[in-house]
Amino acid sequence: MATKTYDAIVVGSGITGGWAAKELGEKGLQTLVLEAGRPIDPDTDYAEHVPEWEVKYRGMGDRKRADEDQRVQQTCDGMDEWNSKFFTNDKQNPYTTEPDKPFLWIRGRQVGGRSIIWGRQSYRWSDLDFEANLREGVGVDWPIRYQEIAPWYDHVEDFIGVSGQAEGLPHLPDGKFLPPMELNCAEVVVKDAIAKYFPGERLVTIGRTAILTQRHNGRAPCHYCGPCARGCITRSYFSSLNSTLPAALTTGKVTVRPHSVVHSLMFDSKTRKVSGVRIIDGQSRDAIEFRGRTVFLCASALESARILLNSATPEFPNGLANSSGELGHNLMDHCMGGGASGRIPGNEDYIALGNRPNGIYVPRFRNVKQKHPLFLRGYGFQGSASRPKWERGVEMRGFGANFKHALSRPGPWTCTFYGFGECLPNHDNFIAIDREKVDAWGIPVIRISCAWRENERALLKDMSISASEMLSAAGAKDIEPILQDNAPGLTIHEMGTARMGRDPKTSVLNGHNQAHDAKNLFVTDGACMASSSCVNPSLTYMALTARACDYAVDQMKRGEL
Amino acid sequence: MHRRQALRLLASAATLPLLSREAFSLFQAAHEQLSEQRVLKTLDPHQNATVTTIAEAIIPQTSTPGAKAARVNEFIDLILTEWYDEEEKSTFLTGLADVDSRTRELYGKNFVECGEKQQVEILQALDDEVAARTEDVRRRRNRPPEKNFFFMIKQLTLVGYYTSQIGFEQELHGEIIPSRHAGCVPLEEEASK
Repeated sequence: MATKTYDAIVVGSGITGGWAAKELGEKGLQTLVLEAGRPIDPDTDYAEHVPEWEVKYRGMGDRKRADEDQRVQQTCDGMDEWNSKFFTNDKQNPYTTEPDKPFLWIRGRQVGGRSIIWGRQSYRWSDLDFEANLREGVGVDWPIRYQEIAPWYDHVEDFIGVSGQAEGLPHLPDGKFLPPMELNCAEVVVKDAIAKYFPGERLVTIGRTAILTQRHNGRAPCHYCGPCARGCITRSYFSSLNSTLPAALTTGKVTVRPHSVVHSLMFDSKTRKVSGVRIIDGQSRDAIEFRGRTVFLCASALESARILLNSATPEFPNGLANSSGELGHNLMDHCMGGGASGRIPGNEDYIALGNRPNGIYVPRFRNVKQKHPLFLRGYGFQGSASRPKWERGVEMRGFGANFKHALSRPGPWTCTFYGFGECLPNHDNFIAIDREKVDAWGIPVIRISCAWRENERALLKDMSISASEMLSAAGAKDIEPILQDNAPGLTIHEMGTARMGRDPKTSVLNGHNQAHDAKNLFVTDGACMASSSCVNPSLTYMALTARACDYAVDQMKRGEL
Repeated sequence: MHRRQALRLLASAATLPLLSREAFSLFQAAHEQLSEQRVLKTLDPHQNATVTTIAEAIIPQTSTPGAKAARVNEFIDLILTEWYDEEEKSTFLTGLADVDSRTRELYGKNFVECGEKQQVEILQALDDEVAARTEDVRRRRNRPPEKNFFFMIKQLTLVGYYTSQIGFEQELHGEIIPSRHAGCVPLEEEASK
C-alpha cells in the first residue's frame, strides 16, 4: 500500500470534520479526510425545489422500503421522501440496545454527514453551562470556560454566518449575527405578552440559525423555499458540503476520500502515539491503512467512541485512550417533548409570506437567577406560530364546494412551544462493543444502554406546565399541553462518550480535545462534551474543533506532537 | 437552459424575485412531458368509478378544477397497491363496497348510479360517523381513527389533490420559490402575489 504519511487524518466529513479539514488545510497541513459514505453531488442530489407531484408518494414517503431499510431513521421527523437518501441504512449499520432501553440513533453517512440534514439552530454556551458540573458536583469539571471559547465562536460565526437578534443575556451570549429573520403576526403577540407577564425572566426571540439573511462569504442569502434538509443549491444554510469542505479543497492540501469506513486506529506503543487509520473500502471491501502524524476523530459522538473501543491494544485492553475507563460512558442527549400549543386569536386577515426555515426561541429561565426546588439546570423552548393549510381538512367535518372553499384560506394562528432540556452526565448511560454482531463491513457494532433519569423527567414535566403558562398569558385558546415520552437519541444531540476534563483518571480528553493517553489524537465531535447545556450543540462542536486544530498545529510547529 | 442552471444563477443573482419566476416556469415546462395516464393496479373499473365520484364529491370542480381533474383516483390506486398494508387495504376496499350496499338498500342501485342528492346524503352519513368517532376519541385524548373508510378516502383525496400540480398552482396559488419573505402581511397581498 501507499506509504505516504499525511500530516493529519480527519475521520468524518460532517459538521466537525469539515471544520477540521478547512482549518488544518488552511494552516498548510497535508490532510486526508476519510468519509464512510458516498460523495454527494448537489446538482443531482439536492431536492429542495422538487415539487410534491414529482415524488412518487406525494411526500408520504416510501413507507414499505423505509420499514425494511430505515426502521430507526424514519422515526426522525426530519426524514422525508426527498431526503431519506441522506439518512443511514439501518440494515447495513445495525446497533443493539437493551430490551427496556430504546435508543434512536439517527445518522447520515455521506460526504457532508448530518450537516446536510441538521436543524441549523446555533447558540453559544455560557459559564452558566461550563461551571455547572463543578458547582453541583455532577460529572467532571469542564477544563475550559466561556472566555477561552468565545474567540472561537467569533471565528466560526464569521465564516458560517448566523442570523439572529442580540438580546444581551449573560447566560445566552450574543454572537456576531447577520440580520434576524422576521417574527410573524402571532409570534409578535406572544412575544409582547411574555415580555409583559414574565419581565426579566422569560423572553421570545427569533431563532439563531446558520442560514444567511444577506450575502456572506460568497454564498447567497436564503430564498425562503423552506425545506433546507433536502439540500440548498444556493448554499444559503451552513453545511460542510456548502461551506467548509469547498474552502478546505481550495487550499490544495486536503483530500476527501469517500467510501472509507474506518475500522480502527493504529497505535505505536514505542512512541505512545497513534500512527494511522485502518479502513475497509466501502465498495471494494479491501482493508487499507493510512498513516498520519495526527488524527482527528470527527465521526460523531457514538462512531468516534466506537472506533476507539474497536482499537484496543495490549496497553489499552478496554479501548484506545481509555485508561480512565470513561470512554463510551456519560452518553447524553437533550430530553425533548414537553411543551404546549394553542390558538392565538386575532390577525385573521394577515399571513406570513415565504417559508421561513426558522422558528422562535425562549432562552432558558430555570435555575438562572434562583434555584428551582425540583430539578437541576433547565431547558429552552423552540417553537413557532403558523396558520395551518389544507392538511387540517383531514380532521375537519364536511366535503364539497364549501369545504373546498374553506380550505383555500389558511386556518387560525396556532403557536407551539417545544422544550429541549439539559441531560445530566451519568456513567451508567454508555455504549460498549457488542461482540455478537458486525456491520455490513464486518466491523463490530455498539450496544447502547441509555435511559432518562429523574432530573430529565422533572424537566419534561415542567416544560409542559411553563409552556401552557406562557400561551395562557398570550391569550391563547384551546391550549393543549404536550408531554411526549421520546426515547433518547431522537433529539440527535447525542454526546459525551469521550469527555474532556482536567484529570486523566476521570476523563478521556484534555482542555484542547487532545487524548490524555495519546497526544497526537484529537476528538472534536460531540463525544468530547462534559455536560450538555440545553442549547443546540453544533456551534460549540465547531468552535471546539477550530480551537483544537489551532492548538494541534501550534504543537506540531513546536515539535511537541 | 436547464432547471439547475437557472438555480445556479439564483445563487449569484442580486434580483432573486425575477429569476425565481423564470426558474419556476421551467418546472412547469418539465412537468408537461409527464402527463400520460397511469394503468390502475388495484381498483377495478367499478371501484375506480366509485372512488373517482367520491373524491370529486369531496373536492369538486368549482371555479378551479377538482379531484377528478387532478387524477386523485390514480393516486389512491397507487397508495392501495404500494403503500397501505393488507389490513388497511382491506378496510378501504370493504368500506368502498359498503357504500354500494348502503345505496342499494336505500335506493336500489349502486352509488355511481345514484343522483347527486342521494350521493351527498350517503357521504354526509359517512362523514357524520367519522366525526362522531373523532369526537369520541378526542374525549379520551387519543388519536383520531385512521382505520375508517371515509376518513381514509377523505385523507387521500386531500393529499392527492393539494399535492398535485393543479391543486398546488391553481387552487393554492403556491410557489416553490416564493417572491419574498415577510412576517406579517394582509391576506389579499398573499392571494395576489
